Amino acid sequence: MTLTETWRQAPPAVLAKALTKVYGHGDAQVHALREVDVAFATGAFTAIMGPSGSGKSTLMHCLAGLDTATSGTVHIGDVELTGLGDKQLTLLRRERIGFIFQAFNLLPTLTAEQNIRLPLEIAARQADQVLFDRVIDTVGLRDRLAHRPAELSGGQQQRVAVARALISKPQVIFADEPTGNLDSRSGAEVLSFLRTSVRELGQTIVMVTHDPMAASYADRVVFLRDGALVTDITSPSPQSVLDTLMKLEA
Amino acid sequence: MLKTAWAGLRAHKLRLLLTSLAIVLGVAFIAGTFVLNDTIQAGFGQRVTADAEKVAVAVLPGGPDKTIARETLERVRGVAGVREAQGLLRGSAPLLGKDGKTVGDLPTTAVSIVPGALDRTTIVTGTGPGSDDQAAVLDENTAKAQGFRLGDTITVLDAKQRKHTFRLVGTLDPGLDQQLSYTGVVGFTMATAQRMTGEKGFQEIDVAGADPARLKATVAATVGGAHVVKTGTELAADLARQAGLEMEMLTIGLLMFGLVAMLVATLVIYNTFNILVAQRTREMALLRCIGATRGQVFGSILIESAVVGLVASVLGLAAGYGLSVLTLAVLAAFDAPLPTAATVTLTPATIAIGLVIGLVVTVGAAVLPARTATRVAPIAALRTQVEEQTFRTGALRVVFASLFLLAGLGAAGAGALVLPPGQQGSLLVVMAGGVLTFLGVLILGPVLVKPLSALIGWIPAKLFGVPGRLAVDNSGRNPKRAATTTVALTIGVTLMTLISVVTASTRATVTIKLDEQFPIDYQLVTQERDAGIPRVIGEELRGRPELAAVLRIRDTRVAVGGTRTQVGTYNGPIEPQVTAGSMRGFGAGQAILAEYTATDLGVKVGDTVSVTTKKAGTVPLKVVALVDEESPLPSLTMAEPQFEEAFGVVDDSRVLLNIGEGVSPEQARSVVDAATAAYPTVQVQSSTEVRGQFDETLDMLLMIITGLLGLAILISLLGIANTLSLSVYERTRESALLRALGLTKPQLRRMLSVEALVLGLIGALVGVVLGVSFGWAASRAMLDGAVFSASAGQIGVFVVLSGVAGVLAAILPSRRAARASIVGSLAAG
Ligand SMILES: Nc1ncnc2c1ncn2[C@@H]1O[C@H](COP(=O)(O)OP(=O)(O)OP(=O)(O)O)[C@@H](O)[C@H]1O
Ligand SMILES: [Mg+2]
Repeated sequence: MTLTETWRQAPPAVLAKALTKVYGHGDAQVHALREVDVAFATGAFTAIMGPSGSGKSTLMHCLAGLDTATSGTVHIGDVELTGLGDKQLTLLRRERIGFIFQAFNLLPTLTAEQNIRLPLEIAARQADQVLFDRVIDTVGLRDRLAHRPAELSGGQQQRVAVARALISKPQVIFADEPTGNLDSRSGAEVLSFLRTSVRELGQTIVMVTHDPMAASYADRVVFLRDGALVTDITSPSPQSVLDTLMKLEA
Repeated sequence: MLKTAWAGLRAHKLRLLLTSLAIVLGVAFIAGTFVLNDTIQAGFGQRVTADAEKVAVAVLPGGPDKTIARETLERVRGVAGVREAQGLLRGSAPLLGKDGKTVGDLPTTAVSIVPGALDRTTIVTGTGPGSDDQAAVLDENTAKAQGFRLGDTITVLDAKQRKHTFRLVGTLDPGLDQQLSYTGVVGFTMATAQRMTGEKGFQEIDVAGADPARLKATVAATVGGAHVVKTGTELAADLARQAGLEMEMLTIGLLMFGLVAMLVATLVIYNTFNILVAQRTREMALLRCIGATRGQVFGSILIESAVVGLVASVLGLAAGYGLSVLTLAVLAAFDAPLPTAATVTLTPATIAIGLVIGLVVTVGAAVLPARTATRVAPIAALRTQVEEQTFRTGALRVVFASLFLLAGLGAAGAGALVLPPGQQGSLLVVMAGGVLTFLGVLILGPVLVKPLSALIGWIPAKLFGVPGRLAVDNSGRNPKRAATTTVALTIGVTLMTLISVVTASTRATVTIKLDEQFPIDYQLVTQERDAGIPRVIGEELRGRPELAAVLRIRDTRVAVGGTRTQVGTYNGPIEPQVTAGSMRGFGAGQAILAEYTATDLGVKVGDTVSVTTKKAGTVPLKVVALVDEESPLPSLTMAEPQFEEAFGVVDDSRVLLNIGEGVSPEQARSVVDAATAAYPTVQVQSSTEVRGQFDETLDMLLMIITGLLGLAILISLLGIANTLSLSVYERTRESALLRALGLTKPQLRRMLSVEALVLGLIGALVGVVLGVSFGWAASRAMLDGAVFSASAGQIGVFVVLSGVAGVLAAILPSRRAARASIVGSLAAG
């Protein structure tokens, strides 16, 4: 049995069915998502790719409960998001979802450590000290914990964001172009942390990216075009991702 | 540049609207005060003019306390061209209330009401006395307060304290005459008025006839130089001026509050423009990049502020007009002794003042922020992330602040502790110290904000978890902005606390002094010095077992070293506060002086003063003690036997009584009432009543001042709301991030409320500290032997209200923050 088959049998961490998102009315109507069916396996690192405007961010926002879809359903684990109110969605994000954004991930008033612990404190949960130490050492931030974001480089800031996402052991981490603002070396660092956390901690990660190199760190890549899921590849290499993209854009 | 200024106005219209509200309120208050003043002055003018039209010429006595002899009236009547001449008489005639005691602190004023064309009284209900010597009229307020209705029989005492009864035939309006409004009026025919008051002469002679100017000359020639003769118009102008004087004082008082409000508004505007400039750094930089000069950037912001100032001032003028119409309606509803009928007009002067103040304040407050804007480097346009405002405590700031604080606290300390209390100079020094200290705090504000927010935010941070802690961090995040925001509130709270402390201390000081000297339960007084308290009352009360102590004071006015002075004696137990010398072994040949009397006469303990008496000639007395002016003793006190020798049997002027151990107040009161029942002029006051009146006056004062300062507080709240909504705007992405990480909407709202709460409490705390300190200093400077007292309850209310107000100010901004979509906000940038 291949690895891929194992994933397919385990219940997916995130499941979307016939997901549709329409912005605006009448002539100005934009179908950002058209009946997307997609599943993200537990313990896997999945990348979402597609040309600009294809609906990647929209998909991620709908999956993460940051935005509500026009129709269709989303499950995070066994919880269905459709029909949940803002309060329930907020609690769901707090308990089950981690985020890494392209920029502005951290609160400027808090130190790195405070930023990392923030989700736990919001949820009034105790930090798992063993996990904390392991995460900190993995991302190599031990000597930067007392610094504020302004005193950290962009790469370090993203690493703090990764640590923050990992610390609360969420069911799934959503990352929207986490390396978009980094040079290739810092980007590679952050990506390898993400992959390590999937391998070693069994974390589920869904990452939106433009970069074939970044996508190659994932176990699987799904491709969007004009708001519809067109194809996916498993065990990608930069070259295979690039080829698929070229085909899509042609 | 005009275009960019316009675009700036449109883009920030909501924020600028909030800011301009601060100016609107300030200008409205000032303009409203002027409109009120103008209207009431015009009303005075109208009323006296209507009166004076009836009078061609008026003859007035040559000086105060003088009257016009009756023969003069006859002579005036004989002057050619005089159609009619009438004397006006005024004197005391105490009205008795239904309890058989004289009404009020001062005897009712009796006036003569003449029939015919020269009648200047305004009868409201019923008729005048006409020619009926048994008829009388009362002023409306007295009639209402005492429960007299038309047709009732009223009792009035004549000059010899004999009772006379009259039929009440009408009520009159005392008009603008402050004395009449205060004492109450009883109007009689001329004959009755003369009989009742015992007055020989007239206060005024009114003359009717043609050609006032000519008449004035002929009348003046007839009455001679000892009189003042005026035409009706001149008389009207004089009366209007006198009546207007008080209004002017009131106007000046109100304007002070208006200035405080404008000061607070200035801070609010300054802050808003500062924040707007900070937020538009990139926009400014872009303008510079594409070739705008510094001057153009500066100009665009000033134009923006001028437009805001102009619009707000115009609105303020309109609001001020409405405010004064409202105030006049309220005054009219409460029957205030002020004319409220004149048409309310916005004079060109008021319009000019309102516009100038609004414009100058707004543009003035925008100058510094505009200068900051010119310093934006074009390169700033290229930076992506708006920099966090960092603040470092500059040495210069600390040095300046220390200098101001040192000078301010030094001056206040000197005024309170070193300079003699009770003098205007000391108070002025304390006030100057207050202003300097305030400036020091203003400069030091940004340094204080962080530690204070940590201190004050300690409990909210513990109480509200993550939102609380983030809020406390945020409140100290931009120290300069937070400082200006809170200082605006501090001004109002400082002044309120100061007033509260001064009134509480005054109350405590006066009460303690009274209690120390003679813990009075009741006192007997009369309206007039001349009508004393018959000695039998004192003697009878002294024999009563229900009373523990009876202190009797009697006095008369005679010349002491050439100055007319209150000379008296006492009988009974008293321990006045002796400030110099000693009262031990006080006896014949000695005198006790009140401190102020000693100062007036220029004598000290050991000196000799001579009292001129009719019976004993000049009596030399050695000054043995000086007493505090709060003591009930007369200005100059002699030993009782020597006083009797010199002045004979004089009635008591005051009798102070103390209830015996275990006797109920009701029991004692009935004894006192029984002893005085036969003497209508003797009034019984209980100390609770006297203190109650005193307290009521103080409370009223406190309430009015607090109410007026409320405006400044309101404006500072606009400032908090403004600052907060700008911060919300700046932190759009931060809020979205927090929401993504699982902060619920209520938690986000709470975070902003706590931030506002902390800001409000910082402002209040600094205000309370300043207010209490300077309230103490001001009390020390104003009152001799001041006892410090502060009402923790009142001050607590100020603090709580400031906190609540801060939270209220946060409602709209926090709702906006919570409502923003997470996805949209994350993308914003
Ligand atoms: N708030 C909105 N209102 C209207 N249309 C929107 C909105 N947000 C996104 N869209 C549209 O929806 C489509 C999908 O947008 P989305 O941001 O998901 O694309 P994307 O794949 O993330 O693009 P990129 O790679 O540039 O980030 C686009 O055509 C976009 O114009
Ligand atoms: Mg996107």
